[in-house]
Amino acid sequence: MPALTGLLWLIGYWLVGEVVIYLSGLPVSSGVVGMLLLCATLAVIGRVPDSLAAAAQPLIALLAMLIMPGVVGVFFILDELAGQWLAILVALLLGTLLSVVTTLWLLKRLMGSHAH
Amino acid sequence: MPTSLLSTLTATPLFAVGLTLAAYLLGNALFSRLRQPAWLPAILIAALLLAAMLTVLGLPYEAYQEGAVWLTILLGPATVALGMPLYQQLPRIRALWRPLAVCLPIAAALAACYALGIAWLMGSPGQILASIAAKSVTAPIAIGITEQLGGNVALLMGALLVTGVATIPFVSLAARLLNIDDERIIGFALGLNGHAIGTVRAFELSPTAGAFASLGMSLTGIFTALLLPLAWRLVGMGSG
Repeated sequence: MPALTGLLWLIGYWLVGEVVIYLSGLPVSSGVVGMLLLCATLAVIGRVPDSLAAAAQPLIALLAMLIMPGVVGVFFILDELAGQWLAILVALLLGTLLSVVTTLWLLKRLMGSHAH
Repeated sequence: MPTSLLSTLTATPLFAVGLTLAAYLLGNALFSRLRQPAWLPAILIAALLLAAMLTVLGLPYEAYQEGAVWLTILLGPATVALGMPLYQQLPRIRALWRPLAVCLPIAAALAACYALGIAWLMGSPGQILASIAAKSVTAPIAIGITEQLGGNVALLMGALLVTGVATIPFVSLAARLLNIDDERIIGFALGLNGHAIGTVRAFELSPTAGAFASLGMSLTGIFTALLLPLAWRLVGMGSG
């Protein structure tokens, strides 16, 4: 049951994340704390255990499906936001386009001296 | 469908889980049938299908959501799982830590500020601004931020969908215009701006792009979660 062992790792780190947040009061999610702790642990061990890979790989592949139930919610608040949609859509689309261009341009310039 | 039959089916979470799986698989099948268009990602097709199914069945969203918790609960361990590709790419990331460390705070702050500025100029009220502020942050973190700011979580999820879906063609377009073919830059931009949806796309491109996307996504999440609520209070947006 390697995948189950791996899943226990993941759930364990998520729970450790909960404890860290409870004790520190940081406004981050336990998933992120768990992710950083997992990465740090792997760096110490120096390899990825097979059991962990067996659970982590399929879960990562399913990320898109896992956010679907929340995403679908937006179709059911369309009426509530009548009159606001244009501003929201323009802000999201134009804002995202601008920030994508900024990110790419900035990183290209910054990495110019490092790449290759 | 008769109400009694529907309430029998929705009494078990398996109905909501089954609907979600069906919509997801169907969405993916349609996506490859349409030759993977960049402007219509599989997640958008699947979400539209799912919304249509719920409407046709007359199933209230809240009832669906209650059952779908059986799936969304996995979002926690799935986020932790991203620590694995992050570890596998550590040597590449370490080689580039300086540009990444400079780029991240600027780009993550602008990801929120551009959209907020535009919405504010177009006259959106504070509650809407609070709902879209975390638009580039991965869902589990973004929900926490939005609750802190007093925004609407359903609207946030919509903003996440629009942002994530729009990021994919925007990145490929902008990368072509700026002559960028470095998978590390493209991956980082996908994750930083397009959170989980962009990261899923980056993994389709290559494992390297995926790892940089995970990195961009998680750093943006942490940075925004730590600074946005504080910044919100400083500019006096919070109601109290």
